[in-house]
Amino acid sequence: MESDTQRIALGLRQRDAAVLETLVEQYQYRLVRYLVSLLGRRDGVDDWLQETWLRVLERGGSYDGHSRFEPWLFRVARNIALDAMRKRPMFSLDSNEEDGVRSSHASGEPSPYVLAARTEDAERLAHSLQTLEPVYREALVLRFQEDLSLQEISVIVGAPVSTVASRIYRGLATLRGQFEGETA
Amino acid sequence: MILDHHERFQRMIDESLAGAISAEKEHSLREHLATCAPCLEYLRASNRVVAGLSGFSFELTPTLNARVLAALKLRAQQGRAAQPGRRRFMRQHNVRFKVWAAFAVALSMSITGSALVYQVAKLLTVPMHFDTAQVQAGVLLFWLLPSFCAALCLLAAPGENRGIA
Repeated sequence: MESDTQRIALGLRQRDAAVLETLVEQYQYRLVRYLVSLLGRRDGVDDWLQETWLRVLERGGSYDGHSRFEPWLFRVARNIALDAMRKRPMFSLDSNEEDGVRSSHASGEPSPYVLAARTEDAERLAHSLQTLEPVYREALVLRFQEDLSLQEISVIVGAPVSTVASRIYRGLATLRGQFEGETA
Repeated sequence: MILDHHERFQRMIDESLAGAISAEKEHSLREHLATCAPCLEYLRASNRVVAGLSGFSFELTPTLNARVLAALKLRAQQGRAAQPGRRRFMRQHNVRFKVWAAFAVALSMSITGSALVYQVAKLLTVPMHFDTAQVQAGVLLFWLLPSFCAALCLLAAPGENRGIA
């Protein structure tokens, strides 16, 4: 019996419009969330998103359907983001604001995390998340919001599993400060 | 780096959340948490971080999906429009292959035919009082050369005149 991933792979190989439309509907929000974690701002994300889907259309044949679709899709989105960052050197995944990342925090625009916080705990995390280095924020989002395994995250970010784990630990340590010393 | 007792278990909590803990360590962590308030507090704070991360909801631009789908449709149409060009390219390459094949056949027929004509001419040399050199020159001039030129003309003629484009 054909699995979902194989159906997606076949649809992408055939450039099936219905399959692409379903994927856009299904993954659009998750891509926005992931790209915001990379960029640290909301504006510009829509353009990256469109580029991501166009690349999915162009390179869809390279998805073999043997593994989950999400890591492949996020890897495509990440490559698009990195390409854009190379063209605009003010952005970098491996540096923080002091090294030149112009996040919304630095540019005076409202933080996308402050605007998107819907719970009290999220509101408390918003500022720390905004100032967290993108590689840590990315690891946290992929692990705890996208529910990906360390191996899958490792494939997306192109780093060893141990490095991904360290990024998650460091990200957690930074954010945990908001809640330490309190009883739940 | 030497970790103290609690730090060791707190590291295990991080590993557990990251999905990088063994079943054995997980078991020992559970036993420890049942009796250790500081580590339990660490776990609660960690769980609040994880829960807090799910408390963000980004708004999608209302026209975003339509915009993306329109861009995909346009790109797919451009791809299809490029298809006839690709077919023309393939057809041109196909024609080239056919011409070379025809040339090869014509050349081999020219050589084989010349050999046959030469053998026949040799049989006729004695009654007609020709020597071998004259027969060879005759076959070369009146058979091999014209047929070789005819084969070469296949390559030189423009596509429309080849009769196979």
